[in-house]
Amino acid sequence: MQPLIELQDLTHAYTDAENNQVLALQKLNLQIEQGEFLAVIGANGCGKSTLAKHLNALLLPTGGKCLVNGMDTQDESHLWDIRQTVGMVFQNPDNQIVAAVVEEDVAFGLENIGVPHAEIRPRVETALKAVDMSAYALHAPHLLSGGQKQRVAIAGVVALEPRCIVMDEPTAMLDPLGRKEIMATVKKLQREKQITFVYITHYMNEAMQADRVIVMDHGQIVMQGKPAEVFSRVAELQTLHLEAPLAATVAADLRHAGLSLPRDIITNEELAAALCR
Amino acid sequence: MSIRLEHVDFIYMQGTPYEKQALSDVSLTINKGEFVAVIGHTGSGKSTMVQHLNGLLQPSKGKVFIEDVDLAGKAPNIKACKQKVGMVFQYPEHQIFAETVFEDIAFGPRNKGMSEAEVEQQVHEAMDFVGLDYETYAKRSPFQLSGGQMRRVAIAGVVAMKPDYLILDEPSAGLDPGAKEAIFERIMKLYQARKIAIILVTHSMEEAARYANRILVLSKSRILMDGTPREIFLHHRDELRQASLDIPQTVQLVELLRQGGLKLPEGLLTEPAVVAAIKKVRGLH
Ligand SMILES: Nc1ncnc2c1ncn2[C@@H]1O[C@H](COP(=O)(O)OP(=O)(O)OP(=O)(O)O)[C@@H](O)[C@H]1O
Ligand SMILES: Nc1ncnc2c1ncn2[C@@H]1O[C@H](COP(=O)(O)OP(=O)(O)O)[C@@H](O)[C@H]1O
Ligand SMILES: [Mg+2]
Ligand SMILES: [Mg+2]
Repeated sequence: MQPLIELQDLTHAYTDAENNQVLALQKLNLQIEQGEFLAVIGANGCGKSTLAKHLNALLLPTGGKCLVNGMDTQDESHLWDIRQTVGMVFQNPDNQIVAAVVEEDVAFGLENIGVPHAEIRPRVETALKAVDMSAYALHAPHLLSGGQKQRVAIAGVVALEPRCIVMDEPTAMLDPLGRKEIMATVKKLQREKQITFVYITHYMNEAMQADRVIVMDHGQIVMQGKPAEVFSRVAELQTLHLEAPLAATVAADLRHAGLSLPRDIITNEELAAALCR
Repeated sequence: MSIRLEHVDFIYMQGTPYEKQALSDVSLTINKGEFVAVIGHTGSGKSTMVQHLNGLLQPSKGKVFIEDVDLAGKAPNIKACKQKVGMVFQYPEHQIFAETVFEDIAFGPRNKGMSEAEVEQQVHEAMDFVGLDYETYAKRSPFQLSGGQMRRVAIAGVVAMKPDYLILDEPSAGLDPGAKEAIFERIMKLYQARKIAIILVTHSMEEAARYANRILVLSKSRILMDGTPREIFLHHRDELRQASLDIPQTVQLVELLRQGGLKLPEGLLTEPAVVAAIKKVRGLH
């Protein structure tokens, strides 16, 4: 199967206020498969948000190529199709909500792209159901919790029926319950609607739940693999300003003290299983 | 030396259909030398509460005192009192305004009437504090930075003012784990060296457990609990879950290990303590 998104030597240089070049992506190569849940982690300023903005042509490459479902983002005639294929969700739920009633907010994007009226209602209902927010269709968004607001924002994107949703730190502003709700929503949409997710986060516990993790540094991918492969490399992660999940760190400390434990422990359950045998 | 709230109510957009009570009968004293973590679900009133601590919001009912000066009174030193409180806002873009990172951080020190050489020194120190390289970033526009870099500029600007009460409203949102660790280490040093008060609003139970010596739990505009990390995290797990919160990862791990039969003592809260306890029961060093 053709990958949904393909980055070939993708390079992005910003020009700052003083006309200096800031190299944010350097010849980055990546294929994102249909239906996968890909987590992107890396230090502040390593280029994650810049990468995200290329995936629906909010930014265009200054070098290399970004292909979305085979369409080159440089080719303006594809802009519409690319934006239909890849939706975005950002960090701050309050900045993403536009209407005074939840269902109107979800319908907003559909109206914007000229979806016929008769089609709007069923699509809004389906989208709200998909994020478990049907009960709130007639509520005022500003009275919802952060996690609920963020799910409304996701519903607004889901209603557009994209193949892929890019999320840039969607849980950074949420309480622990809200973070769990978003994780559950992502997995549900991946499972039930086969939506591909590119999920940027500084929470290692979230990245751990992805199918694949890529680690970025200075505009390049420096590690990638299944969560157990990436997160068991405790010392390397630290040099990249990241951390391993608690269980992996504790396991590493215990190994260091002479205990023999399996290499790929990353969850509390796995550590408990190994220690309590 | 304290900040005190007495029976504070706060209502947004009072008298309109959008009226929203964000604080209900909140009474509280925060003393210098305390490290207070404020936790609570989104919308529980955390940001509203901390904005009362420096007089940015005035209570709809009740009183606020900084070092016994009533902020609604007529004392001549009200402004000076407010200046003892430094606040890093939840959304850094709300407090960044200058054309360069240098100018942004220099604003506070300049306002205090320091000489240009002193100002530069302060900016250097503050950038170092948050791990932003001076040569690379001082002349950059703060609006052309990544989210985490912008957050660091906001923290640096407030640290440079050397407040006696430092309020941090979700400061680690958007920071990478390395930066979080490094900045908190510096904050702890500052806290211990200058015996200031730190008020940390956070959604990270791990941060609250690790750094604070007192935890305030807000829920639905009220103070639900006020106690030490041990009291809150070891004995109130159900109430925390009901308030959309959780117990720290460390406490969850210890629970699993004890259920699995490992004879760990009660009361373990931090990662080093957990590691040490496991080593002990396994006879490792
Ligand atoms: N508009 C801009 N103009 C100039 N440079 C920029 C601009 N936006 C970002 N940069 C720079 O590009 C680099 C990558 O930024 P990006 O926002 O992609 O980082 P990030 O990985 O998302 O970081 P964070 O974890 O802090 O969100 C950084 O060095 C940043 O300073
Ligand atoms: N500027 C505002 N106008 C109207 N309502 C607001 C405003 N700011 C906050 N609120 C409301 O007040 C309540 C408390 O908000 P806030 O203090 O920001 O909570 P927290 O910081 O705990 O997430 C929420 O219901 C929120 O929607
Ligand atoms: Mg970013
Ligand atoms: Mg807040």
